[in-house]
Amino acid sequence: MIELEAIEKTYDGVAVRTAVLKGVSFRVARGEYVAIMGTSGTGKSTLMNILGCLDRPTAGRYRLDDTDVADLDDDQLSRVRNSKIGFVFQQFHLLDQTSALQNVLLPLIYAEKYPEDARQRAQSALTDMGLADRMTYRPGELSGGQQQRVAIARALITDPALILADEPTGNLDSESGAEVMAIFGRLHRRGRTIVLVTHDRSVAEHSHRIIVLKDGTIAEDSPVAEPRVAEVAPDETRGQEATR
Amino acid sequence: MRSLRNAREGARALASSKLRTFFMMAGIIAGISGLTVVMAAGRGTEKRVMKRVNAFGTRAIMITAGGGKGFAPPQEGVTTLRPEDAEAIRTQIRGVDVVAPFALGRNMSIKAGSTQVQAMVMAVRPEWHDAWDWHTTDGEPIAADDTATLARVCVLGEMIARDLFGNQSCVGEFVQIGSTRFKVKGVLEHRGPSPQGDEFDSRLVVPLTTGLRRLFNQDHITNIRLKVGDPRQIESIADEVRLLLHARHHITPPREDDFAIFSAADIARMARGISGTLTYLLMALAVLSLLVGGIVLMNILLISVGERKKEIGLRRALGATHGDIFQQFLMESLSVTGLGMIIGSLLGWAISIALDRSGLWPVVVTWEPFGLALVFCLAVGLFFGIQPARQAARLSPVEALR
Ligand SMILES: Nc1ncnc2c1ncn2[C@@H]1O[C@H](COP(=O)(O)OP(=O)(O)O)[C@@H](O)[C@H]1O
Ligand SMILES: [Mg+2]
Repeated sequence: MIELEAIEKTYDGVAVRTAVLKGVSFRVARGEYVAIMGTSGTGKSTLMNILGCLDRPTAGRYRLDDTDVADLDDDQLSRVRNSKIGFVFQQFHLLDQTSALQNVLLPLIYAEKYPEDARQRAQSALTDMGLADRMTYRPGELSGGQQQRVAIARALITDPALILADEPTGNLDSESGAEVMAIFGRLHRRGRTIVLVTHDRSVAEHSHRIIVLKDGTIAEDSPVAEPRVAEVAPDETRGQEATR
Repeated sequence: MRSLRNAREGARALASSKLRTFFMMAGIIAGISGLTVVMAAGRGTEKRVMKRVNAFGTRAIMITAGGGKGFAPPQEGVTTLRPEDAEAIRTQIRGVDVVAPFALGRNMSIKAGSTQVQAMVMAVRPEWHDAWDWHTTDGEPIAADDTATLARVCVLGEMIARDLFGNQSCVGEFVQIGSTRFKVKGVLEHRGPSPQGDEFDSRLVVPLTTGLRRLFNQDHITNIRLKVGDPRQIESIADEVRLLLHARHHITPPREDDFAIFSAADIARMARGISGTLTYLLMALAVLSLLVGGIVLMNILLISVGERKKEIGLRRALGATHGDIFQQFLMESLSVTGLGMIIGSLLGWAISIALDRSGLWPVVVTWEPFGLALVFCLAVGLFFGIQPARQAARLSPVEALR
C-alpha cells in the first residue's frame, strides 16, 4: 500500500538548511500495523506529513496504492487525503464551536459525493467509539480521551484504508491512552492499515512492526514478536463492531 | 452542491462567533440603512418640491410689488406696481398667454348673516381664472362685464363658502366684505395648499376695479401673474419682464428692484433649499461608511484567517482543496455583507417610515435603494472578501496545522 523509496526532506530556512529525512525507504502492506519511533525532532512528523500527502518530499519516490504522489496536483492530493487517509493528531484538532457529531461529519463535506446517510454514519461511528451519549457535546465539554475518540470517529467516517496517527496518546493520561490503543487494536483486527508515530516504546509495542528513525534514516525495522494488547476496563469497551 | 456545503461551513463559522460577525456587519448596516434613508428622504423632498411647483403652476410667473427675496405677498404700502405694467407686458412680451394683474387684501373681515371670518381678498380681472387654471364649480366666474361695471360680486373659495354657508348652495346669497355688500356669483373648485403654506380655498375673489375702488381704495396693484405658452421659455421670459419693468420703473443697477419675479424654477429652488446638497453629502457619507465597513470587514477576516490557521489546516488535511477554503471564506464575507444588507435595508426602511410618520421629513420609499444596496453589498463583499479568502486558501496545510 505504501512504498517509500529514498525519501529526503530538507527545510530551507532563512539562514540554514535542515536535512531532516536523508533517504528513507520502506514498504507497508495493506492491513499492517506499523509504529514509527524515534526521539523528538528526528523527523517523525515530517515523515508522517509526507505519508499523509500534506507535504511533498524534497527527493525520492512515494507511491500510495500504486500511484506516484508526485504526479498528483494539489486538488488530487486533497482528494487522496479525503478518501484514503484518516488522520489522528496529538492535539486532536477538533473544531471548538462545533458538536462532536458535526466534527465527525467534517470530512464528508469534502467528499466527492456527500452521502445521504451521513448523519447515521457519524452517529454509528461515535457509538462505535463509546460516545453515543456525547454526540451533541462540544470538544470543550469532553475529556481528552473522549476528544481523541471523536477525532478517531472523524478519521473513520470516510472509510479510509490507511490510518495515520501522530502521537495519538501524547496528550492523554495513561488510562485514556490505553483506551485509544485498544481502539487501534480493534481497527487493525478489522483490516485497517495503521501507521502510528510515537516516541514511547511501550506504545509502539502495541503495533506489529516497529521502524526506528535516527538521524534522518531508518535505524531499525523489526516485527514485534508479541504485540501488547491494550487492557481496558470492561465498562469502557462500549463500542460494538460497526458494520462496514 | 459542494459550494453549498462550503457556504454552510462559512455560515456556521459566522454563527459561532456572533460578536465578531456583528462587528464585521456594523459598517455595512450603517451604510446601507443610511443610504436607504437618504434616498427615501431625497425622494420625499423631490415630491414635496413638485407639489409646491404644481401648486404654483408649472407655466406661471408671478410678479410681486416690492423687492425681497422670499416668495410672499407684497409688503403693504408699496405702490409701484400698476395695471399699466400688466398692459405693457401683454403688448410687448411675446410668448405670454395670459397676463393677470391683481391686488391682494389680507385679513379682510367677511360676514354672512351672523357668521364672520377673516380672509384674503383678491381683486382680479377675468383672465385671472385662466392664469391660475382655477375655475368655478358652481355659479359663474368673474366676467369682463363685472370689471367694466364695478359690479359688487364675488366668487368664494371652497373652504370659505363652507365656513360661511355650510353645505348649502350660496350662489345668489350676499356677503359683506368690510362694509360693502357683495353678491356671491360662484364658488371656486378645490385647490389645496398654496406654495406659501396657507389654503388657497380660504380666499375669495372680486372684480379688480371693484376691489381697488371700493375695498382697497387704491389704484396700484400688488401682483401680476403670467402664464407662458412654453414652460421651457419661462426663464427667458422672466428676464425680459425684468428688463421691461426696469425701464418702466426707471431702475438702474445700484438701485434695488421695486418688484420681485418668481418662476416655477425659483419656487423649486426655494422649496429644495439646501436639501439637494445635503442629500448628496449624506449619500457620500453613507457610501463612505460602506467602504469603511468593507475595510473593517476585510481586516477582521484577515485577523480571523490568522486565528483560524489550525481550522484551515485541519480542513485541508481532511480533504478541502484550495478552492473549498477560498469559497468558504468568500462566502463568509458575502454572507456578512448580505445579512448586513438585509438588516440595513430593514432598519433604513423602518427609520424612513418613522421619519415620515413623525412629520419630520417627507419620505418616499422606492425599490431603488434596495437594488442599490444589493449591488453595493455584492461589490463590497467580493472586493473585501477576496483578499482574506485568497490568504486562507494559500496556507499550506502543514504550516497551518503546526
Ligand atoms: N517547516 C519547518 N522548517 C524548518 N524546520 C522544520 C520545519 N518543520 C520541522 N522542522 C525541523 O525538522 C525536524 C524534525 O521535526 P519533526 O518532524 O516535527 O520531528 P518529530 O515529530 O520527530 O519530533 C526538527 O528539527 C524541526 O525543527
Ligand atoms: Mg512530532
